[in-house]
This record gives sequence, C-alpha cells and structure tokens, in this order.
Amino acid sequence: MPILDEKIKQEVTKILANMVKPITIKLFTQGMECGYCKETHELLNEIVATNDKLKLQVLDLEKDTEEVKKHNIEEIPAIVVMDEKDHGIKFYGIPAGYEFSSLLNALLMVSTGVAKLTDETKAFLDKLEKPVDLKVFVTPTCPYCPQAVILAHQMAYYSDKVTAEMVEVSEYAHLAVKYQVQGVPRTVVNEKWFQEGAAPEQILVEKIKEAL
Amino acid sequence: MDFNISFTAGAKPEELYDLIIIGGGPAGLTAGLYAARYKIKTLMIEKMPVSGGQLTATEWVENYPGFPEPILGQKLAKDMETQAKLFGLEVINEDVVKVELTGKIKKVHTPYAVWQAKTVLISTGSSPRKLNVPGEAEYKGNGVSYCATCDGPFYPDKIIGVVGGGNTAFEESLFLAKYASRIYLIHRSDNYRADEILKERVEQNPKIEYVPFYQVDKIDFANPDGKKIILSKTPNPGNVIPAQAGIRPVLSNPTHHPESVGLRPTTPSDEKMELTVDGIFIFIGNDPNTKLFEGQLDLENGYIVTDRSHKTNVEGVWAAGDVQSKALRQVATAVGDGACASYWINKYLEEWKE
Ligand SMILES: Cc1cc2nc3c(=O)[nH]c(=O)nc-3n(C[C@H](O)[C@H](O)[C@H](O)COP(=O)(O)OP(=O)(O)OC[C@H]3O[C@@H](n4cnc5c(N)ncnc54)[C@H](O)[C@@H]3O)c2cc1C
Repeated sequence: MPILDEKIKQEVTKILANMVKPITIKLFTQGMECGYCKETHELLNEIVATNDKLKLQVLDLEKDTEEVKKHNIEEIPAIVVMDEKDHGIKFYGIPAGYEFSSLLNALLMVSTGVAKLTDETKAFLDKLEKPVDLKVFVTPTCPYCPQAVILAHQMAYYSDKVTAEMVEVSEYAHLAVKYQVQGVPRTVVNEKWFQEGAAPEQILVEKIKEAL
Repeated sequence: MDFNISFTAGAKPEELYDLIIIGGGPAGLTAGLYAARYKIKTLMIEKMPVSGGQLTATEWVENYPGFPEPILGQKLAKDMETQAKLFGLEVINEDVVKVELTGKIKKVHTPYAVWQAKTVLISTGSSPRKLNVPGEAEYKGNGVSYCATCDGPFYPDKIIGVVGGGNTAFEESLFLAKYASRIYLIHRSDNYRADEILKERVEQNPKIEYVPFYQVDKIDFANPDGKKIILSKTPNPGNVIPAQAGIRPVLSNPTHHPESVGLRPTTPSDEKMELTVDGIFIFIGNDPNTKLFEGQLDLENGYIVTDRSHKTNVEGVWAAGDVQSKALRQVATAVGDGACASYWINKYLEEWKE
C-alpha cells in the first residue's frame, strides 16, 4: 500500500522539480523496524522515486556504528538531509502531517542552496563561536510546528555552528518527559533554554544569545 | 496517515501578478480558488507553513453546510487548499511585513522579497485575544494555551481552566474534556454567548463545571507541582441575565462535584479564589490582524471597512473574511466574502490599465 496518494505525489513531483543539486537522504532504522520506522522508510522510498536528484541510503542503528557516530544519531527513525556535506539537518520520527512541509522544505533548501533568513539573522549566525543545537518538539497535527522546524533547519543550513532536529514527541515519550514538553512547538536550545511556540526569527536569535 | 504540503514552488518576485492574496485562511483560499478559475495570475502569501488560518486550530466544524457529519477543521482547511492548488493557485509561506497599497502597482514586502501586483486582497483574519494578566506571556506554551487541538493531548487526566463564554470556549471545552479529568469554565458573567446546542452539551458533560462571575487576575505556574490561577469576582459583570435557565454555577451547586477540590476561596466572601490547574486555555475572542494596514486603510475598531463589493477605501485593494468590519465571523461567511471579492477583482482587472 503506497503511503502517499496520487494527488500528493503529483504535488511532490512538481515541487521537487525545482531542485538543483543532488541530495542524499540517510535513514537510520533497524533490522526489526521500530514503531514508525517502516512507514518512514516507505515514505522516503516514494519521495525518492519522484526525482533522480534524490538518493536514499538506509542505515542500521546497531550495525552502521560509524555512520551513527558521524551523524550523531540518538533515536530511530532518524533522517539526515544532506548534499556532499552534513549540514546538521535531522528529523527524529516520521515527518508526516504538517511536518511533511518541513521535510520538503529541507530538501529544497539544501538542493537550491537558499536559506530564507533575514540579513540580521545571517550576520548574527556569521559571528557564532560556540556550537548551537536546536531541538524542535512537534506533533504531526500541530499547525504551528513546521514554522519552528523550518526556522531551525534554515539556521542549521546557513551556519556550520548550528545543528537542528525535529523531534516528533509522540514517538519518543521519554524525550517529552526529559525536556518537559507540555505544548508544541517547543524549541530547546543547547539542552537547557526553551522557546515556546512558533517564534519569529529575532526572538529565537535572542534566545540563542541567552543560551550562549 | 496524512501528509500536508503548504506551498507551491513556481512563484517568482520578478513577475507582476494580477492579484496577491495576503493570508491563506478560508477567505483567502476561496478567493484563490475563484481567481485561479478566472485564470487571473494569482499569488497567495501565507505566513504559516500551513494554510487554513484559524480552521487549523479548530477540532470539529459542525456548522459549515455540506458536511452533515462534523468535519475536522484541519481536514476542511486542507481540502480547501488542495482544491485551490488543483486549479493552479501559487502559494508561498512568507510573512508580509510591509505593504505599499497606493499607486497602480501594489508592493507587498516579506523579509525575503518584494512581490508586486495590480490588485491586493487582504484576508489576514484575526488572532486570539490575550487576557493581559501577569503570567500569561511568561507561561505561554508552558501551561497557557490558545489552541485546544494543538495542546489538548498534553493534558490527559489533568485539570484545566478554560476562560471565555462564547462558542469557541464551549466547543473547545468539550474537546478538552476528552483528555482532561476536569474543566473549569471561567467567565465574567453567567451570560454565555454560546449557541444553545453547545450549552446543552456542556451542561451534560460531567467533567465541565461553570465558574461564572469570575475573572482571571493572575496565572501563577512558577511551581510546577502547584500551578494555580488567581480569580476575583467580576466587579461589574455587565449585562447579567439573572439565573439563566439551565445554568448551574459550580458555587451554587456544590453537589455537582462533591469531590471538587481544585477551587477554593481565599477570602471569606469568595471575592478571590484560587484554582489549582495543570493548564489554562484562553478563548475570549479575537483581534484583527490589521497592524500592517494602519494609516493606509480605513479601519473600524481595528477591522477593515469595505463596501458591498468588499472593496476598501483604496483603489485596487479588497478585504475578505474575519478581517473585515462585519457582524458574523465564521467559516461560511469568510468563504462567501472570498468568492465575492474575487468576482469583483476579476471585473476590475478586465479594465485595468497601467
Ligand atoms: C478555536 C476556533 C474554533 C472555531 N470554530 C468555528 C466553527 O465551528 N464554525 C465556524 O464557522 N467558524 C469557527 N471559527 C471561526 C473561523 O475559524 C473563522 O471565522 C475563519 O477561519 C475566518 O477565516 P479568514 O480566512 O477570514 O481568517 P483566518 O482563518 O484568521 O486566516 C487568516 C490567515 O492569514 C494569515 N496571515 C495573517 N497575517 C499575515 C501576514 N502578515 N502575512 C501573511 N499571512 C498572514 C494567517 O496566518 C492565517 O492563516 C473558529 C475559530 C477558532 C479560533
């Protein structure tokens, strides 16, 4: 049973026709595929089939230890969207529902090389000295969430100092507890600082400043 | 499993559009559908990576005709969007930060580009009104919410305060009751504006209790194990209809929930109360998203004034939906406004000359 219906597949094809550079999608899963690993795998198969510039590489959390270490994978399913280089753009959990837009956005961004950020934000990111990690907690039915995910991924793409992960909380109950997620989106900056809601660029920048 | 795509990828800032629609709620999406079918070159700019506006924050819509079984707000939004895109509507996800509406060519600025068009339709809708009490901004997303569909699932078996007395407060309380163990519906008076059918359902729901004649003074969620809100008796509850039929205020009906422990007076006369909750949801009405247009368009209480063809006081600029100064703000009316506005815009474009 295909995961994407025909209409959506057509939309995906149309959007990805704007891709420029080839993209590698790395999926981390397991032999015995976990909760949503199977669906995530099938989803990526279907997306990759729409465009020659996309390549899917499936890796095993237990066997491919080197890759796991290289990309700093903590949970499965995990998706890394990259070109020849890992920009620190990750998805933990299936990017379904509204998060599907976040995935397409990441593919287009890396492929076209355009991160939509204001000049002020870029100037701030240019000056970063310390690493910044952004974990964005979401649920697939939260309409405000992709905004937070896309912003974090844009920062990660633009700056080598920034890494950004979407975390679909309903798949990782332990993380919801650990990071005290009571509402989504919630962006966690460097493990300790929290930003609630789909905050505009400047507000997230302020939060990052606080965390540094 | 559902997959939502919020944007198309054919829009280019160097193009001159016939029409730019600002805001992709029901009004903008319907206008976009009509415009796409008129084959006028249209771009919809929606700041969220999701179209549908307030519909996406709505659980069930029961009063939109054509769906005798209630339809999920998010599903209705997505279907509206898919339908408009099917006819070729271009959608981008950028935040409009500035507009230049006078002159033949209108300019619409986002942080990343300037988009140009012969006409502009404003359908920026409205946003939830804030209580403006201490603690509200501080704990937003951390116990304070304006969206039950988004955050309701985080409150299984929890106690929730809901503020408001209209349709939205009632609908969303019913939705939250699916998760929460108890809901206190706090309102300034006992004059509830919700539709009768919603009142009946709330009253039949054993989890929901009315707390009439109280207002929220403060949200104190500093202690995660003792979150509370401070209420005080409404000094002037306005036009109170005494003892409305069917309404059972919790205070006058202590037997409704004999085990009720969350609510306790902190002054002998019940002037002030403390309510122990795990979260608070606020549904006290909306404010129009019209800051961008102040000084450029005629506004009335913040809402955009239009004529019968949905035209504003500036040539080439229309407004549709919640953002308009009008009596009823619903999906059905927003959709009608959007369709009408597109009709008049199409007529105008037929005669448009540089
Ligand atoms: C919880 C809730 C429950 C409801 N239940 C019902 C119901 O059961 N039945 C019913 O008929 N109605 C209901 N409503 C009301 C209904 O949702 C609204 O009347 C309707 O959505 C209005 O549509 P609109 O297109 O005018 O505006 P909106 O839905 O507000 O859409 C406006 C859009 O414009 C975008 N926007 C704003 N500013 C900008 C900018 N600067 N740049 C780019 N984009 C911008 C916003 O992101 C938004 O997507 C409910 C509302 C809420 C909040």
